Amino acid sequence: MKWLHNILEVFREELHNSIFDEGVIVFFFVVPLLYPLLYAYLYGNETVREVPTVVVDLANSTTSREFLRKVDATADVEIVGHCADMQEAKDLIHRRKAHCLIYIPAEFDYALMEGRQAVVELYSDMGSMLYYKAVLASCTEVSLAMNQDIKTQRLVGATEKQASTFAYPIKYEYVPMFNTQSGFATFLIPAVLVMVIQQTMVLGIGMMAGEETEKKRRGILEPHVIGKKPIEMLFGKSAAYLAIYSVISAYVFCLVPHWFHLIQIGKWTDLVAFLFPYLLACLFFSMTLSSIAYNREVFIIMFVFVSVPLLFISGISWPTCSMPEFWKVVSWLFPSTFGINGYVKINSMGAVLRDVKPELIGLWVQTIVYGITAWLVYYRSYGKHLKDIIEVAEERLQARWADYL
Amino acid sequence: MNSETTEKKGVWRVVQREVARMLSQPVYVFCMVVAPLIGFLFFTTLMGKGLPMDIPVGVVDEDNTSITRQVLRNLDAFQQTAIVKQYANFGEAREAMQQGKIYAFYYIPEGTTELALSSKQPTVSFYTNAAYLIPASLEYRDMKTMAELASGAIARETLYAKGYADSQVMGILQPIKMEMHAISNPGLNYSQYLSNILLPAMLMLLIFQVTIYSIHSEVKEGTSKHWLELADNNIYKALAGKLLPQLLVWMVMGATYLVLLYAYWDFPLKSGLWPMALASLLLIVVSQAFGVFLCEALPSLRWALSIATLWGVLSFPISGFSFPQIAFPAPLKALSYLFPLRHYYLIYVDQALNGLPLHYSWVNYAALLVFLALPLLFPNRLKKCLLEYQYTR
Repeated sequence: MKWLHNILEVFREELHNSIFDEGVIVFFFVVPLLYPLLYAYLYGNETVREVPTVVVDLANSTTSREFLRKVDATADVEIVGHCADMQEAKDLIHRRKAHCLIYIPAEFDYALMEGRQAVVELYSDMGSMLYYKAVLASCTEVSLAMNQDIKTQRLVGATEKQASTFAYPIKYEYVPMFNTQSGFATFLIPAVLVMVIQQTMVLGIGMMAGEETEKKRRGILEPHVIGKKPIEMLFGKSAAYLAIYSVISAYVFCLVPHWFHLIQIGKWTDLVAFLFPYLLACLFFSMTLSSIAYNREVFIIMFVFVSVPLLFISGISWPTCSMPEFWKVVSWLFPSTFGINGYVKINSMGAVLRDVKPELIGLWVQTIVYGITAWLVYYRSYGKHLKDIIEVAEERLQARWADYL
Repeated sequence: MNSETTEKKGVWRVVQREVARMLSQPVYVFCMVVAPLIGFLFFTTLMGKGLPMDIPVGVVDEDNTSITRQVLRNLDAFQQTAIVKQYANFGEAREAMQQGKIYAFYYIPEGTTELALSSKQPTVSFYTNAAYLIPASLEYRDMKTMAELASGAIARETLYAKGYADSQVMGILQPIKMEMHAISNPGLNYSQYLSNILLPAMLMLLIFQVTIYSIHSEVKEGTSKHWLELADNNIYKALAGKLLPQLLVWMVMGATYLVLLYAYWDFPLKSGLWPMALASLLLIVVSQAFGVFLCEALPSLRWALSIATLWGVLSFPISGFSFPQIAFPAPLKALSYLFPLRHYYLIYVDQALNGLPLHYSWVNYAALLVFLALPLLFPNRLKKCLLEYQYTR
């Protein structure tokens, strides 16, 4: 049982190293604890309400005022000013007092009286798509309701129901599923949670590997490394990181969504069965990458910027079906791609394990492939290579000893 | 006179030394050239023409009559949706959505045609997967347009038959009509909307980090005293010599993203190139200054890097370019002004999108200048750190 003893020793020492290294604590604990809270807080309002809007009402009639009053009463738009002309209104937008503009031309009322179509013009500052959405949705909603009344008057002898049926023989109903208010938090936070796990693991493990490389360069070896086979190192370390990340995952995937009332409709057994290979894939992915960490900090500047492209390449924002083939293939290299899609499907869309089969297969393939590469990396640094380092260290020691003498 | 010549020589020597450092460590080449280029190319190629085409959509047609089939053919004609499959019932379609095979589906219940023909106004439902927000909202638009067109077509025929005049028909079908103008982005191009901020934001993050790494790693490697000596023990000269060659590389990268955005993709640039070029240059030097400031405030490589990373990553959401700032909780609304990217974003909206004169954005230029002055707060702390500080992990 020597091997078990070895693995346990590595496990203990690595756990100790991760918990007592301030730099690693930041990535293994502080970031996973704080980032999800920060993002959930930031997107907590889900969508933008009461977008400040200015109005140019040249018709200034009962109907136009009724229209504006109803638009003001919607949740998404707030009328913050009435202007005499377009110039004045645009100036308010330019001075950031408002983001949208509703323009009702003077002939609005004549058109209505003559039975022609009356046009209301809407302008939106495109600094954010959500302003556009807010003003268009609110005004359309109000105009549909008002149209109903007007139509009834115009179709002589028709009841309200008949008028409605006449203009819309078939009614269309829009149902946003799994995110009923089309909110930002519900859409983005699950992806961020999954991403945080992978990125902090890459950075933390990279930092620890960098530390070892730095020490080796100075001829220092951690005592628990000596006499261990690479495979024992691999298992011991994996067990240590897995132990830490099981706790972190419980927090990130259970507590955070619970606290912020995010959608959580997956079965927990399915979640566990899915997140386990995700953690393994991230783990071996990080270990493989860590071979290029030549000092403690280098990973921070090399891998943080990747987070945002990785979020996009997962397809959570820009749909995968519209991505160039090349980026689709690149996306399969990262556990986060499968992780995000699978987690969103199970957690937010109530999918069961067999619905996420492609993602599960992806993660297990990554686990195996990156597991092998991680072993190769460890074989290089703890196998034959280690003997060289020990020799060098001994030579140096002897040389120093000789100097001393 | 004599001292002046040695001073000049001092900065120049630090520059030479810095160039040698940058070339000797692969991490500099990676983070200053390779990473920004990969990032720029990634975002500008990922979203292609700016709108997703042929998003897969399913259909549950329980009615299955010639009329419902006609409606579905109309739908398929839209560029953004592609009907990929018919499902036998609601459950199957929902499952396909949960598996990610389709982003939305139409549900036409049994008896729809009959009800429509007998003027009983049946309902056709359109279910989208709003967990994927962008495709869902684009499909919503397609569905709305289709509903208008399909309904309108039938009613229009009837009205013409009844002898209504052209101008009256639309007045009856849709008495009040909304006409939407999206200032500077009429096609709702997502690539334009996102890339304009994502590209500079990524560059900014890298500048934060590289600046700090290049300063504090000198302490770690024990070379900081030598660096200062070469600069006549003057912290300003030392920093100038170190940051100038980096600035040159960053400027080339900045120019690259400007060319990509405004020449290659031809995104709107209403006030001409120079205001945005100025804003980009400001963002670059401000990012360097912010890095130096953090080095002064936090005399530890790890802490300075961690805070810079936090600031850099948080810049993306808090600049408000995707989820608008007016929807943030109040404390974060206030906090957002402490992020240089927020000011860059506001300048971009004013100048590239709205084509306003520079003075409309003066507050933001002033704010960026304040960031630029931050390193003047306590340069001597940094000097002391370079001379005395011992690296701790």
